[in-house]
Amino acid sequence: MAFSIPDRYHDQAPAAPLDTATLNQMAWRSVFLQASFNYERMQAAGWLYSILPGLEKIHRNKDDLAASMAHNLEFFNTHPFLVTFVMGIVLSLEQNKADIATIRAVRVAAMGPLGGIGDALFWFTLVPITAGITSNMALTGNIAAPFLFLIIFNAAQFAVRYFLMHWSYRFGTDAIGILTANAKQFTRAASILGVFVVGALTSLYGGTALSIEIPNGTTFAATPITTVVRADELDRYREQLYKLDENGRVVLNADGQPELAEGASIRQLANGDYQITYNEYDEVPVTINIQEILNGIVPKLIPLVLTLFLYFMFVRRNWTPLTAIGFLLILGLLGSGFGLWRSIW
Amino acid sequence: MNGDISAVQIILVFIVTFIAAIDQFNFLESLYQPIVMGAVVGAILGDVTTGLVVGGTYQLMTIGNMPVGGAQPPNAVIGGIMATILAVTLGLTPTAAVATAIPFSLLGQYAVTLLFTVMSPVMAYADAAAAEANPGKIVRLNYLAMGALGLFFAIIVTLFFVGGAAFGQRVVDAIPDWLMTGLSAAGGMMRYVGFAILLKVMVSRDMWGFYFMGFALANIVAGIPSLSNSALLLLAFVGFAFAFWDFQNQTAFRAAPASVGGDEDGI
Repeated sequence: MAFSIPDRYHDQAPAAPLDTATLNQMAWRSVFLQASFNYERMQAAGWLYSILPGLEKIHRNKDDLAASMAHNLEFFNTHPFLVTFVMGIVLSLEQNKADIATIRAVRVAAMGPLGGIGDALFWFTLVPITAGITSNMALTGNIAAPFLFLIIFNAAQFAVRYFLMHWSYRFGTDAIGILTANAKQFTRAASILGVFVVGALTSLYGGTALSIEIPNGTTFAATPITTVVRADELDRYREQLYKLDENGRVVLNADGQPELAEGASIRQLANGDYQITYNEYDEVPVTINIQEILNGIVPKLIPLVLTLFLYFMFVRRNWTPLTAIGFLLILGLLGSGFGLWRSIW
Repeated sequence: MNGDISAVQIILVFIVTFIAAIDQFNFLESLYQPIVMGAVVGAILGDVTTGLVVGGTYQLMTIGNMPVGGAQPPNAVIGGIMATILAVTLGLTPTAAVATAIPFSLLGQYAVTLLFTVMSPVMAYADAAAAEANPGKIVRLNYLAMGALGLFFAIIVTLFFVGGAAFGQRVVDAIPDWLMTGLSAAGGMMRYVGFAILLKVMVSRDMWGFYFMGFALANIVAGIPSLSNSALLLLAFVGFAFAFWDFQNQTAFRAAPASVGGDEDGI
């Protein structure tokens, strides 16, 4: 980041409250939240695009607008249909010129939990039900099916978007008095929640895993075999059924009876034949699964280590995000082996 | 396929795919669903009923295969459109058409992975636009990114529409496995850049404990299968409890007479 984001805005006077038209405009823009989705910051630029009309009205000072735009370009990911909830709260803080650390912390704390709620509401409930019913209509050639699906789904989506936008902006504005009375304490508390959420995201969103299996010799795997033999054939299975000493003689137990091998049994059937069970040993290769070992230390170790490594490089080596992306791209491609060696992913 | 397709049909399929590709992540986020696309593409090719049936069949297959939490399932846009095209032009049964379309949907997934990776370094351009307080550049960046996504998909589908299924299979086979594994691995790791930057700006020395606590609790909750979908909400409750408790302590400190020095320690 070439631009260093200040701790607070120059112009500390709260801006005029945002009017309904601007709030509606932003709720509409929120449908393009994922326009420039990418793996580094996910919805960040789309998020900034969505709240820009409000930010431009709030920050008349050009430096403040730059600061606000810069910090709103940090990693952002939430549920696309519930995003207006975060927008309303963040805009109420921006309008009241809260400290940038506060706004950032609230944004991070609010975006995380919405993902699970939205997935449960939309992708696991609304879509399966409406799409399920209308798909069965479509299978019979009913032309109303796609229209019905679109109407139900979008009515729900836009009702949620516009309602949350207005509701959360009012909620944020109402709560602002309590916040400004204890601004420092609030920033600290919100940062605790924010940092906590980033820690949780590292584990929950971190999917990097190794699939390296190192061959480590072979072992013998026992396969139990059960068969029925005539009494005179029993001797042929002597080696499999009984424990033998080094001279090949059957080992006798304390009662003077021949001792059975591990897993072996002999049962005389009513017709005089014997049902015997013994283990046959096959040589099977053994592999060491590196990811299982890492999971034994702590699950999601790689996401944690990589995040901390990048943090270290940002703080100590002044890496830019671009350097970090280049590094990860090379790491990913090197790991996949260019078709020359086996992929570690 | 065959010589019966007209230039108008090709252009219409191009436009529809362009819109659907954008719609899969933006706008209505429902136009792209196979149930809609089946009927639309069927209408373009002159057979709405087949389109409806194929769309319905594909839709039933994708339910429960939604783009949840940033994961990329086989792409429903290309899959749904190609299944309809195959069913109408080649006369395949709906089920056979859906099965034949699977390799194409895989290609859509590749295209998305590639684009999301390529868009990561572009964020540096957005940073520069923010530093000079230039909203116009942010707006243009978003529109251009959507245009690129639409164009990417529209070209792929049009090529297959004109070139036929065998051609599609050849293209899919020509992409080396290592390239896509490497790119998706790198793509999966790029979010750590976002996390690390957030940590850089948010973490002060006395807050590292909360980062590791969030990480540890997330691991524990994620290990319980029945909680995996509500993990972040549950964790937010826990995190909120700590934050709120800290807020109460800190404000109580402040309200108390400052008999002990440094009542704002650690802030």
